[in-house]
Amino acid sequence: MQRIINLACGSFYALGAYFGITAVTWAMRAGVPPALFILVLVASGLALAVIGPVIERVLRTIYDRDESFQLLLTFALVLMFEDVIRFFWGTAPHQMGSLYLVYGQARVGGVTVPVYNLIVIAAAGLIAAGMGWLLGRTRFGRIVRATAENREMAAALGVDVSRVYSRVFTLGVALGTVGGALVIPATAAMNEMGIELIVEAFAVVVIGGLGSMRGAFVGALLVGVLKAVAIATYAEVEMLAVYVIVIAVLVLRPAGLFARAAA
Amino acid sequence: MRGAVIPYVAGAAALFLTAAVPFVGGAYYATLMLPFFGYAVALLGMNLLFGYTGLLSFGHALFIALGAYTAAYLTSGAGVLHFEVVLLAAAVVAVVVAVPVGLLCVRYVKIYFGMLTLAFGMLFYSFLYKFYHLTGGDEGMRVLRPLLLGQPFAGLGKVQFLTGPYYFYGLTLLLLAAAVMWRLVHSPFGLCLRSIRENPEKAEYVGVRVRRFRFYAFLIAAVFGAVGGVLLAVPTGLADPLLAYWTHSGNLVFMLLLGGFSSFFGPILGAFVFIFLQDVVMSATPYWRFVFGAILALVVIFFPHGLMGLVEGRARMGA
Amino acid sequence: MALLTATHVRKLYGSFCALEDVSLTVNAGEFVSIIGPNGAGKTTLVNVLTGLLAPTAGTVRFKDEDVAGVGPVRLARLGLARSFQLVNVFPGLTVAETLAVAVVSRLGRGTRLFAALDRDTAVRDGVCAVAELFGFNDKLTRPARTLPQGDKKLLDVASAFALRPEIILLDEPTSGVSTRDKTAIMDVLVQAATRVGIKAIIQVEHDMDIVFGYSDRIIALHQGRVLADTTPDGIRADAEVVATVIGKPRT
Repeated sequence: MQRIINLACGSFYALGAYFGITAVTWAMRAGVPPALFILVLVASGLALAVIGPVIERVLRTIYDRDESFQLLLTFALVLMFEDVIRFFWGTAPHQMGSLYLVYGQARVGGVTVPVYNLIVIAAAGLIAAGMGWLLGRTRFGRIVRATAENREMAAALGVDVSRVYSRVFTLGVALGTVGGALVIPATAAMNEMGIELIVEAFAVVVIGGLGSMRGAFVGALLVGVLKAVAIATYAEVEMLAVYVIVIAVLVLRPAGLFARAAA
Repeated sequence: MRGAVIPYVAGAAALFLTAAVPFVGGAYYATLMLPFFGYAVALLGMNLLFGYTGLLSFGHALFIALGAYTAAYLTSGAGVLHFEVVLLAAAVVAVVVAVPVGLLCVRYVKIYFGMLTLAFGMLFYSFLYKFYHLTGGDEGMRVLRPLLLGQPFAGLGKVQFLTGPYYFYGLTLLLLAAAVMWRLVHSPFGLCLRSIRENPEKAEYVGVRVRRFRFYAFLIAAVFGAVGGVLLAVPTGLADPLLAYWTHSGNLVFMLLLGGFSSFFGPILGAFVFIFLQDVVMSATPYWRFVFGAILALVVIFFPHGLMGLVEGRARMGA
Repeated sequence: MALLTATHVRKLYGSFCALEDVSLTVNAGEFVSIIGPNGAGKTTLVNVLTGLLAPTAGTVRFKDEDVAGVGPVRLARLGLARSFQLVNVFPGLTVAETLAVAVVSRLGRGTRLFAALDRDTAVRDGVCAVAELFGFNDKLTRPARTLPQGDKKLLDVASAFALRPEIILLDEPTSGVSTRDKTAIMDVLVQAATRVGIKAIIQVEHDMDIVFGYSDRIIALHQGRVLADTTPDGIRADAEVVATVIGKPRT
């Protein structure tokens, strides 16, 4: 939406993951009932979003420059966040696998599935729908879309563009941190997770198209399914297959599958 | 008159100092300098693409890795130890790979070019990582000590070899590479590249075959990258997949920016400063990535023309 | 001898018809002006004539070669050059370097990877010749972006001239130039054209004084169609053209 390529969103994801673990550990010690842990994870993700405006201020200095510089600046943030995480949480992976046991399992259509996974899928769907509603039907959403299409015009119409950018960015950060927090029980929190995520996020965005929510959704789905299929059939091809698709998309439909008409 | 002389004096001094390091600085600093030669060569090529043609590649590490793995295959796989052969082979491999990749990538510009090159870089990384039987997976492949100009230097231990004959071989190679690049950049071809960077549309109207020239620049950059990769791999003795990872490409861009992409010597300076900075910072704190990130951020925001930019007196973009 | 011919050219953008049945010929030795109100299709016509756009129907031939949509590079090599309405320069290159790119391209030396450019006398002579024609002799080392607006425009035209084309198409060469300087610039252009050996000039212009002052022939476009294609006197006598394009004559 803001036409910024933010390599650091992987770092927000990672931050969310680590902070989520810490939050749940505190919650456990505080005696919060286990069933509520998922709420704790979400809440911790949201809490972290406060860094959003700060980061946005930093990125603001280079909005008008070549996109390569945006990439570089966010890459710088990636490096910095890696060590911030290392500083607070050390280098060993953190686990929270026990959370799975708390929620148990369920049978869905003949397949046994951990309830937690279902909850996350539902949450993702809810968040996606919520974002769609936010952007499509609320006043805030309209302003965001207008500003994305034509910054000068929006400013001329009285929109406080910097505030919009700050909020959108924070929203983006929150999505990242919450996402990271939610994924904890399924995978461990590791130092490299931010960097590895960026690779997948990049694939998702390219396939779905920059600036399209629907695209991101479909892209994410595609990448996830592709990886799962690849792992199941021919493990070595896993990430390779994703990259081949990325290249194919970039070549055939450079704007992605659901691109909006570029400004 | 004085102004015109200073760059030559500075250059001569730099050359002299670099040649003196093994004698004056000892094994530690000489070993530290070894990656410098490799990165400097690779960056010279990369800057032809970015500084002179305006295409920023986020997958240039691909060619460094190609060079390293070619060296590994030849030395430990095929028993070919002549360094000159290895270098030549790396250049050939680079061209072979760069032709299809380049043909595809130069049809796109700016961010799409960056994304495509990044994707190819990561594609190669996944290949290197996953196809264990071919590439050794995350363990990598060994690179054995090569014969320099046919000489084994058998009497020398590893460190002596690296800080002695290999060091000067690398320095000579860098000088050769710089000389070649200097000619390229000051040729009619170089001028056309710059016109493409400045205004590709107008360049076409003036009869410049934009896409074709971008492709040539890409090929040249690839060759320099592969040669740099070979130079890098010998001291470590290892070719590993991480050489192709996107963060490695990111470091290359960092070096370019740090040294200054608007200047011929920027890439060389950038490689040098990065290597030393890395050494200093790494020994000072385990959180060197944070420091590096901060430095990169500062450079991007305040000194986009890098150190050479400061030297030449331009701090802001547009100069 | 007909250098450039467009025959029954039609250009559609989706369902919008920008050009309808446009035919024109430009012969050697002619100075042709294309006039018409905004939206008449002048830009589209120019883009079709300069190979940027392929017509939906009809042909464009340059020296008897079909050049529909071939692109600017090919057309430049064939001998058709163009300057732009909006200033189009190489901001970071100096005046000399800008002209040199065109000369290098004309001489086919772009692929000389190892030759030293500053020792190439042919290129240098080519640059100096054009620079002199346009009065850039004392500005050769200035970066293009530091030039005043009018000079940038002139540089754009000069770099087209440096290609020594057979036909040059000038897109509003005097727009953005003060009235006082317009004739001076036009005189420079026409004189330069003769010296360089350009065989025909096509221009798109709004300033009727310039149009009538220099053209051998005027083509009036209106709503995608050719309204008239004749001498200046013929145009003046054509009431319809006067009404739609030129406006009432000064009394």
